[in-house]
Amino acid sequence: MALNLIHKTLAAILCVICLTGCVQAVPPDLFVALEAIDQDLIALRAPEAAPEEYGQFVRQWISLKARVQLDDDLIRWPWESSDLENDLRRLYVIGERTVSQLHERHASQHRAAQAKVVRLEEQLHTITSKVESIDGRILLGEKGVQTDLLVKQARSFFEQKDFQRAMQAAEKADHALKAQALLLSRELGRYADESRITYWQTLAKQTIDWSRIHQSTAIVVSKADRELTLYKGGRKVLSYPVRLGFNGMLEKQFQGDGATPEGRYRVTDKRGQGQTQFYRALALDYPNSEDRRRFELAKKSGKIGPAKGIGGQIEIHGADNALLAQTLGCIMLDNSNMAVLYGGVSVGTPVTIVGALTRENAVALALSELAQPREEI
Amino acid sequence: MLRKASLVSLAVTLIVIAGCAEPPTQQIQEAEKALKDAQESGAATYSADEYAKLEGTLTTLRKEVADQDEKFTLFRDYGKAQQLSASAKADSERIKAASAQKKEEAKAAALQAQQVAEEAVKATQDLVAKAPVGKDRAAVEAIKNDVEGLKSLLKQVQASIDKEDYPAAQTQAKAIHDMSQGVSIEIQNALAKVGKRIPTKKK
Repeated sequence: MALNLIHKTLAAILCVICLTGCVQAVPPDLFVALEAIDQDLIALRAPEAAPEEYGQFVRQWISLKARVQLDDDLIRWPWESSDLENDLRRLYVIGERTVSQLHERHASQHRAAQAKVVRLEEQLHTITSKVESIDGRILLGEKGVQTDLLVKQARSFFEQKDFQRAMQAAEKADHALKAQALLLSRELGRYADESRITYWQTLAKQTIDWSRIHQSTAIVVSKADRELTLYKGGRKVLSYPVRLGFNGMLEKQFQGDGATPEGRYRVTDKRGQGQTQFYRALALDYPNSEDRRRFELAKKSGKIGPAKGIGGQIEIHGADNALLAQTLGCIMLDNSNMAVLYGGVSVGTPVTIVGALTRENAVALALSELAQPREEI
Repeated sequence: MLRKASLVSLAVTLIVIAGCAEPPTQQIQEAEKALKDAQESGAATYSADEYAKLEGTLTTLRKEVADQDEKFTLFRDYGKAQQLSASAKADSERIKAASAQKKEEAKAAALQAQQVAEEAVKATQDLVAKAPVGKDRAAVEAIKNDVEGLKSLLKQVQASIDKEDYPAAQTQAKAIHDMSQGVSIEIQNALAKVGKRIPTKKK
């Protein structure tokens, strides 16, 4: 009887030892830790940002998960080694390393994208102000808003933490900025062309000489400086700031282009109060024979459409009614200045309009700054 | 004797049954097709993490089948492969539905942003009609030029929507909206300064 009891007790002890000695094949906390690694990778946008690394991790993770779920031998003796647990531990180490690498990469991409977007915004701001300063906004056409859109897109993607697309948009915007600079340089390059400037200087000098020789008045307008200068007897009497047409920096080609003509003109008519809607006006003989010759040539070569007209009624005028004041190719002065000028000139006064009088004119300087190599975006 | 014979026949039957284990080809094909469907629904973009896991499951499934194929015929067991195929198929269908929904949401958001941008550009255009054609003619022409540019940019939004690139469409539309508002403010400031304008003559 006693022996039976001893046997039973020993059997019970053995059972308890066996049961307590058995362990799970995979420690639950290891499984939870791997789940957390997976969540970290998702939070770091690894599936999009590092699809290869995430793919490698996830393939192993899914495979091991399947083994955990499907393997029957989930209980083992403590002294038994578990391949599954070892594989999971290895994957944990790989996962942790990937998370750490992605953290670093994410931070580095964040820094790089931020720097690019900020630099781009600064460049856009600088270029926009330069373009404004040389009345180039219209000249750029839709390019201006397109570039603006790309810069804003880069900012939006950056804020959404989509650094890859932020960089792509930034690069496109950078190209667009370069294209803007090229376009401006092509259209306004003559302001930096030495031979053209020499020609303009000659025109202005001849006008001043004429004023000196004839002891008469003459006007010289520099478009780049937006300045009108009145000479009397070859001496500078006064200078006033002027506004030009909305495309004033261009050379006038046809009616409605908003450009201000360049060349030698004369005052053909003085229009006082009641004769002009612009306070006072000095009508010029645009188009003159040289303008007509150039216009016909451009038409023949197809540079100007056959339906285009040469335009006319170019004046130096004031702004009698501020609401009506306009500069569609004319030269506009403030009324007080216009009053002085109007009183100082007579019909027949030569008016020479040139692009620029110096090599360091405002347009040439702006173009040179725009063309300067910028830090790569 | 009879008992012994029964045991032998039972053993033979078991061997034959075990020897006949075939890979679940059809289920695997279905799972592969479900993955392809999920991918076509935009899962790689709209449910990237789940799609990656799904690809992982398919890889595991292929490996499991290959492992079993390598075993001696009598020891092959495609039970796990069957389970994995079933789970991959179910997951694919779930992810496909979720991705389609997310894609629809992104499309709806892009369309909404597009509409807002269009309205903003239209409002700006209306405002330009009232813009002062006065002292700063160059500025007004520049504003008109910008509005024309904005109208043209709206086409880019549509192009992104057509390409199903909804995130790009949304950022473009938002930028156009912001730019339109900027132009509107520019015009409103000009209007506030000089009041209503009188049309000008052409030169």
